[in-house]
Amino acid sequence: MILFNSFRTADPLEYHKSFLKENCRPDGRELDEFRTTTLNIGPISTAEGSALVKIGNTAVMCGIKAELTVPPSDTPNKGYIVPNVDMPPLCTSKVRSGPPEEQAQAASQFIADVIESSEIIRKEDLCIQKEKLCWVLYCDIMCLDYDGNLLDTCIVALLAALKNTQLPKVTINKDTDVPEVDLLQKSPININKHPIGSSFAVFDNTIIIVDPTGDEESLATAVMTLVTDEEGRLCALHKPGGTALSGEKLQHCIGRAATRHREIMKLVDKIIESMKK
Amino acid sequence: MDVNEHEVSPATREFGCEQNLLSRPDGSATFIQGNTNVLAGVYGPAEVKVSKEIYDRATLEVLIQPKIGLPGVRERAREQCVRETCEAALLSSLHPRSSLSLILQEVHDDGSLLACCLNAACMALMDAGLPMSCLFCGITCVISTEGQIITDPTLQQEKESRAQMTFAIDSIEKRVMMSSTKGSISVQELQEAIALSQRASERIFQFYRDSVHRRYSKIQ
Amino acid sequence: MKDTPLSNCERQFLLKTIEERKRLDGRETYDYRNIKITFGVDYGFCMVDLGKTKVMSQVSCELATPKETRPSEGMLFTTVELSPMASPAFEANKQSELLVKLNRQLERCLRTSKCFDMESLCIVSGEKVWRINVDVHVLNHDGNLMDAVSIVAITSLSHFRRPEVSIQGQEFTVHTAEERDPIPLSIYHMPISVSFAFFQQGSYLLVDPNDSEEKVMEGLLVIAMNKHREICFIQSSGGIMLLKKQVTRCSDIASVKVLEITELIQKALEKDRKARKDDDKFSFAESLPKEQITAQKLKEAPLEKMDIQETASEIINKANISPSTQGEHSPVLHAGGVGQVGEGITSSWGLEEDIEEEGEMEEKTTVKKTKRKGDVIVISDSEEEDIVVLN
Repeated sequence: MILFNSFRTADPLEYHKSFLKENCRPDGRELDEFRTTTLNIGPISTAEGSALVKIGNTAVMCGIKAELTVPPSDTPNKGYIVPNVDMPPLCTSKVRSGPPEEQAQAASQFIADVIESSEIIRKEDLCIQKEKLCWVLYCDIMCLDYDGNLLDTCIVALLAALKNTQLPKVTINKDTDVPEVDLLQKSPININKHPIGSSFAVFDNTIIIVDPTGDEESLATAVMTLVTDEEGRLCALHKPGGTALSGEKLQHCIGRAATRHREIMKLVDKIIESMKK
Repeated sequence: MDVNEHEVSPATREFGCEQNLLSRPDGSATFIQGNTNVLAGVYGPAEVKVSKEIYDRATLEVLIQPKIGLPGVRERAREQCVRETCEAALLSSLHPRSSLSLILQEVHDDGSLLACCLNAACMALMDAGLPMSCLFCGITCVISTEGQIITDPTLQQEKESRAQMTFAIDSIEKRVMMSSTKGSISVQELQEAIALSQRASERIFQFYRDSVHRRYSKIQ
Repeated sequence: MKDTPLSNCERQFLLKTIEERKRLDGRETYDYRNIKITFGVDYGFCMVDLGKTKVMSQVSCELATPKETRPSEGMLFTTVELSPMASPAFEANKQSELLVKLNRQLERCLRTSKCFDMESLCIVSGEKVWRINVDVHVLNHDGNLMDAVSIVAITSLSHFRRPEVSIQGQEFTVHTAEERDPIPLSIYHMPISVSFAFFQQGSYLLVDPNDSEEKVMEGLLVIAMNKHREICFIQSSGGIMLLKKQVTRCSDIASVKVLEITELIQKALEKDRKARKDDDKFSFAESLPKEQITAQKLKEAPLEKMDIQETASEIINKANISPSTQGEHSPVLHAGGVGQVGEGITSSWGLEEDIEEEGEMEEKTTVKKTKRKGDVIVISDSEEEDIVVLN
């Protein structure tokens, strides 16, 4: 055991390769197996919607805050969504305190792109009165523990939190022009599409594994995140570089992502159902 | 130029490039795709800050400067795409404990900006004479509202499209090195776009080859 | 990265040639390097090459609220950016001494000299005015940045056109370029700076010093002037004592240089205006040097689209034939609001004992449901795992 652990410390790449040669991974998973995904919907009572997701050791908390505002002048009939991914120093030793590092910024941009591309929520639904009042949803995604595959975890957290979001009814008083918020009448927002992500890592330019851990991510020659919706359409194919993949390999990954999508959808639906009881 | 023809059939716009146009950087290039223009400069291999030193390879830094204002989150995301693509192509282990920096300046954006950044980056790396395992090029495809795939779109075509994809293709096996998408795409559309990009990449690589050939034509 | 310093022998050699009234690039004492002005597709874009020094500038405008002290005046903001591309010594987003100096001098050159009509930029007094932004990027640093920056800034300002605005009472509409032709700014005069480098306690002087000359110079005098011989600002740096006579002589030289440069700018603007009028589409590819072997062009061409769809379908079908080896996991519910999927590695959340047996799990769930909704059960059996992780 001691020998094994020193092997891991001394030459992590060779350590991982020796497992992958046998078609398994250091944590006992198969190459195309995801880690256990645990989802808790609604842990924060002060937020409009929230979710806590754990994929293996990666833990992400998402909270949704809704505020009333004036719609932007270029899209007067739409509300808007502001996502932000935060990676505080507590989540991994690689992050230092200070302004957000590139990974967190890239993740924020990615989540914003996914919201935009998938139309997870119709922005028209967030509008209360044209040119006057709309909702703005602040989606704060906080990484609590980082062990790879941040993007998948963030998307599941975002989706679950949005499904959990309840907005109070707002009416505009015709005489005074002042919005009146009825906190007793709350209704969930309409989720238009259900995007779910699947991340892949390429090892040694040839072997593709799913759901990489932090170690695997840092040793891999490329990482890729695929986001699909329930109709099997792709909302994002995010591969920021690294080893090249052929169209055939990509197609294989898309197939795996579809299976993962069904799996997570069932989980989310079942949990939402359990909360209604 | 027949505008209509460009809209119906996939095509590449006019390309242009100039290498070694700046005196200070170790390698520089400007790449032009229609009206889109990006200027790139490379410094390195040079000494590296201790905090950024990697013991077995060179540290690559990529900076993208927008024309107006300061770089934001969008530029960060683009920088990440360009950097990781370059890292895969560069043989950075030949220059351990050193720094390479690539600076990209947007000169004019008329669509396919990220693709143009990638092309300018590749040309600048070539000009700097850095060892690379393969060349790469960038191609943007958009899907119009009628479902047509347009390669190398203009800004107007990008705005009217319902989905947009940018790929980096390697020169050896024409595989996908980088991918960045926007909008929802069916699997069939994705594969068609990849196949089209691979075809367009051949033209860009031929263009690279012609420029390098021309450049070294006077050397005996 | 650090800039390559000038060696002592280089320094001595340079000073000696200056004493002999020669310059390494073959120029005379009062000669400027070649100035090349290029415009782009957008209004307000300009690139200037001063020898090997290269700068570009983009002017943009936006609606803003005016300053309280000047409610009926537009605003002008100038930003100079020393791109790390320009020199290895420049770092991104770092306020260096040179950057502060350039920014301050450009501001004095344009804003303080009142070179264009700020009041015409007012839409509704005290509420809405145009804010003009000048973004200057230094792309290659080969000395005399100030002159290059001042030329590029004033040229792009003269080239710029802002959207027209029509006002009805308090309401105003901004017209797009398609609706109404955008209008240029009303430029009163063109302040252009001319730099003089001094050597050997001011006994030798050079106009338009390049990078190596700047490294050995002892003092720098910058005079910004318009073609009416009005001095807009004057700045002496480097702590060199100059005689009154020397300064007046410099201002005489500057007036000649400014006249030449203004003429060049006017000519370039006129040429661009004519090209736009004739609807001669500008293209960057046309501006590439034609004779140089470092430049290459390729005409627009269509792509063969044949069999693209077949190739795509083939790939998709092939992938569908081989079924995914991974079976689908069914979700497991632990309590109201908490669920789990996949039975891969153990999670340190401590819920794994629940998924050992389906039947047992059912029982546990019912027990836990009596607890508050959304409660996460913490079972502390993770000590053992912690040790593994630490290794």
